[in-house]
Amino acid sequence: MNLKLSRWPFDTVLVANRGEIALRVLRTVKKLGLKGAVVYHALDRHAPAVRLADRAIEITGATPVAAYLDGAQIIAAVQSCVAGDRTVAIHPGYGFLSENAAFARAVEAAGLIFVGPRPEQIERMGDKVRARGFVHQAGFPVAPSAVEDDDPATFVARARAVGAPLLIKPSAGGGGKGMRIVRDLARLESEIERARSEASRSFGDGRLYVERYVENPRHIEVQVLGDAHGHVLHLYERECSVQRRFQKIVEETPSPALTPELREKICETAAGIARAVGYRNAGTVEFIFGQGGEFYFLEMNTRLQVEHPVTEQITGLDLVAEQLRIAAGEELGYAQADLVTRGHAIELRLYAEDPARGYAPTTGPILRLIPPQGEGVRWDGGVAEGGEVTSAFDPMLAKLIVHADDRAQAIVRARRALAETVLLGCKTNAAFLGRLLRHPAFERGEIHTGFLDAHPEIAAEPPLAEATVHKLLAAAALSTRPLRDVADAVPDLYAALGAWRN
Amino acid sequence: MRRIASRLNTASAEFRANAEHHRRLAAELKDKQRAARFARPQRDLERLRSQNKLSVRERLDLLLDPGTPFLELSTLAACEAYGGEVPGAACVTGIGIVSGREVLVNAGDASVKGGAWYPLTVKKTVRALDIAIENRLPVVHLCDSAGGFLPLQAELFADKYYAGRIFRNQCLLSKLGIPQVAVVLGHCTAGGAYVPALSDYNVIVRGTGAIFLAGPPLVKAATGEENTVDELGGCDMHTSVSGTADYPASSEEEAIAIARDIVGQFKRPQKTAIEWQPPEDPYYDPAELYGILPRDIKQQFDMHEVIARIVDGSRFHEYQPNYGKTLVCGYAHLWGYKIGILANNGVLFNDSALKGTHFIELCNQNKTPILFLQNITGFMVGREYERRGITKDGAKMIMAVSCSEVPKFTVMCHGSFGAGNYGMSGRAFDSRFLFSWPNHQIAVMGAEQAANTLADVKIRQLQRQGRTLTPAEIAAIREPVLAEFQRKSSAYWSTSEIWDDGVLDPPDTRPALGIALSCALNVPIGDPRYGIFRM
Amino acid sequence: MQHVFKLGEHEYQVALSRARQGYRLHLGERSIPVNLHREDDGSARLTVNGVSERVHLAVRGDEVFVHLDGASHTLRYVHPLVRLARQRHAAAEDEIRAPMPGSVVALAVQAGQSVTQGQTLLVMESMKMETTIIAPRDGVVEAVQVEKGQTFDRDALLLTLAPEKTA
Repeated sequence: MNLKLSRWPFDTVLVANRGEIALRVLRTVKKLGLKGAVVYHALDRHAPAVRLADRAIEITGATPVAAYLDGAQIIAAVQSCVAGDRTVAIHPGYGFLSENAAFARAVEAAGLIFVGPRPEQIERMGDKVRARGFVHQAGFPVAPSAVEDDDPATFVARARAVGAPLLIKPSAGGGGKGMRIVRDLARLESEIERARSEASRSFGDGRLYVERYVENPRHIEVQVLGDAHGHVLHLYERECSVQRRFQKIVEETPSPALTPELREKICETAAGIARAVGYRNAGTVEFIFGQGGEFYFLEMNTRLQVEHPVTEQITGLDLVAEQLRIAAGEELGYAQADLVTRGHAIELRLYAEDPARGYAPTTGPILRLIPPQGEGVRWDGGVAEGGEVTSAFDPMLAKLIVHADDRAQAIVRARRALAETVLLGCKTNAAFLGRLLRHPAFERGEIHTGFLDAHPEIAAEPPLAEATVHKLLAAAALSTRPLRDVADAVPDLYAALGAWRN
Repeated sequence: MRRIASRLNTASAEFRANAEHHRRLAAELKDKQRAARFARPQRDLERLRSQNKLSVRERLDLLLDPGTPFLELSTLAACEAYGGEVPGAACVTGIGIVSGREVLVNAGDASVKGGAWYPLTVKKTVRALDIAIENRLPVVHLCDSAGGFLPLQAELFADKYYAGRIFRNQCLLSKLGIPQVAVVLGHCTAGGAYVPALSDYNVIVRGTGAIFLAGPPLVKAATGEENTVDELGGCDMHTSVSGTADYPASSEEEAIAIARDIVGQFKRPQKTAIEWQPPEDPYYDPAELYGILPRDIKQQFDMHEVIARIVDGSRFHEYQPNYGKTLVCGYAHLWGYKIGILANNGVLFNDSALKGTHFIELCNQNKTPILFLQNITGFMVGREYERRGITKDGAKMIMAVSCSEVPKFTVMCHGSFGAGNYGMSGRAFDSRFLFSWPNHQIAVMGAEQAANTLADVKIRQLQRQGRTLTPAEIAAIREPVLAEFQRKSSAYWSTSEIWDDGVLDPPDTRPALGIALSCALNVPIGDPRYGIFRM
Repeated sequence: MQHVFKLGEHEYQVALSRARQGYRLHLGERSIPVNLHREDDGSARLTVNGVSERVHLAVRGDEVFVHLDGASHTLRYVHPLVRLARQRHAAAEDEIRAPMPGSVVALAVQAGQSVTQGQTLLVMESMKMETTIIAPRDGVVEAVQVEKGQTFDRDALLLTLAPEKTA
């Protein structure tokens, strides 16, 4: 692909983000011969992204997260520190301001370039209910549903018409709170009342909607790419079914659930939805995929996804480079048929958390960090040795991406790479990921969004073998000063005699 | 330094018979030691448990660094005394490692008569503290004693080397800058109260530990004042009011842990630099010592074979190999340290005595510690030898031994009879350590010789009264004398009386001497100086 | 004297001694030959029972982090004096008493609440100075004996922690 532009309309790319994505974006920026800049909160002062950037600007906030959400401050910082005779593009990464239409608008109003979709596209797709309506109207499949607001008087009847099983959700909610599954329509009304009271308590807003509940669904999403000239392509799917508390943990492509026919169908659907919006930028269309092969539009993410590297591995594309080319007004320059995928890629998210304790976040220093290496192994990390994992930010430490000829080989490679990964000082989910990769159901590709709940043994920490305990105690004893000092103080002669008694 | 070429035939019937005999003696020794350490009347063990106290052995396990050696001294002290009812003389002494430091441990054993001090308890304790002084060893006292054993007070209180000597030795240690820590695990009453008080540091256990000159009953009798133990001398009173004790502890385990931490603060000694090379195990198996030693006390054996099973690489540089051959002299390495060895290969003649004197002077000149391996029936007697000056040659050797500045170590390998004991650095000649083997016998002369002498005196007496004795009557006179003499010449009598620092299983000699040598090197070696050698 | 390592839910009492070559790990009655050789690349070669393998180690405070055979583990060290003193203080530290006479400015906890060592329990005022009373150990507040504004004397009982189960 044509990566090098002879003339970029901007010479600096500022990343309005942190952690691994800031580092990942900066790497591409530098590779393209552009200047890289980053904003950072004091807690991230020593982060690798700050070290790599040509320019790093400190931002402040009531909380560290608030600093990264403060678009006005970031734009002001860019204008005062970076701009001047330079032209700056702002890459928002994911999370934070990445799907904030007001920010995108403010960036453009400030004469800077926003690496992302047009603000109105963010607005259209950013609101879940509105996006569903749009997609439905455009003729694409959405789960049968009934929204209370449409006509409160007929809500129950419309809900009944959706059919069982169905899911009652609070309109204002999120995070799974107040959701209720109804398998027996006789209980529909009582469940609606319960959901309403819970929603009122949790969100101060009792409005509800219902949609068809898909049992043991898979989460399959499709990467799309659209340029400013109306070209939209899909970059195939990613399966992200292994989740805990609605947070993805393992993503892979291709999905083991799709036949070639289904793949084409779901990917073309995604591309069609993006085309209907006239989408510009990299984006992702997410679907609920039922065990019977049915799938429904769930939402569209108008930004780069955390799990984009698996798509990069099988397509050979650099999605950040593509985003920057698109932001620079370039045409994609290739057609769907030009995109050939190779092999299978899996991404494992390394989190600072303790799966055995309900995935509770952990904190601690990064005393030792040795990322895995080797063919087909990619490490997208945002932390470095000497850094500190705090509770101020998202607990994701790094992503380990492997690529191999097929899924089985990718799993083997992932296991090896995971075992080679050394991260000491902060408890991570690495051992849990290892158990997941060894689970027969995962190996068979029999995954769904309830997979971890159905297999609690993966999160549980198995007891250590006695030999392992001995090794650990030996290593610890030999590294602990009070033990070592007393042993080393023993004169040689006595040491040689051991526990001799007369 | 070349290796000794052993001429031992380990396949011979003689070797096997010897080995069997001495292995049995070793097994007997281990049995006696086990009994002295652990065999106690059930009620004594129950009393300790009811007082929430650990046994002295459990305390030692907590005190000593795991995986390090402990050279226990005089384990069988008092084994032939007090009807055998005071095993170990009611205390444990020894040298071990605490927080990486070489220390002497002096621990009362409350499972024996409540830890009461018997005369031999005092003797063993004084000897242990003498060892600490002579070898500059820090001391850990584990105090748990009911006080002096009153019925025998006349044998433990007043004399120079009786109980007062314990406190005198403690003061001397302190003066020499050798630290002591006392752990008060039981009552320290009367004299016993001075053990913690005279220690540089002390720790006391809340509840079970107490220090006072007189306990509550004695105080009540003396002044009518009524006290509880805690009020009078308990942990909190002494650590917060009187300042008699330093560190409070809520359990024995904590008290001992604190003591370990205190010892961890002691400066590690700079060992006296003597010739050293990396240690090497003996080439010949030390277990073969069992087969070398004869079964009969009167039978000779070659000390070269013994040396070969003690020293590094079995290597030996022999001095004057062709002169005075009944005394083997030469250099070897023990745990890497260069030592001189004098070992008996027969009775001492004029030439052997002169050779020994010369060699002792050499060792003092080049500051080489000396190991004496005793198997001695004495200096040669008779007109010819007296004319050659055997007495004055023996005197030279005794002079050299007595005035030696280098540390000396003595092992009683077999017999030790007569003045040869002196020339070979017997107990009176201040060897830093003296150990015996189980087969060892010691007396002014051999048991049969002595029994015959005593019986002859008696028989001649009776003959003068005109009586003639039948062989049976002669035997009846002779046998009890022989039995009594044999008992008091045995290694167990010797060790019971603390004429030595303990009986060693022969293969344990090398490790024991290693520790002894290491301790001795805490003290600088002075320049040689002697009295008048009679020429 | 036994040192303790906490590993997961388990506590292990261990000691270390030096051997002629390397070390011995003492675990109960067992004595296991061990050694640790630091490599130039920051890793280490751990030898246990004569078998060597590469490990990565990091120590911070009393925490030892070990990467062994593809997995990371955390061990927490407890010094014998700390362990034994904890047993001693367990009872005494159940009662939190006033270090000086004063009044309660603010109560930060209530009965039944879990607290961690160092957490503020209450703020008191004495001689026009505010003093913060902190939790001496992790535990659960059993009872609060004072109210906001209440005055008290020195050594007055302010709060009690639920007794700790000792090991």
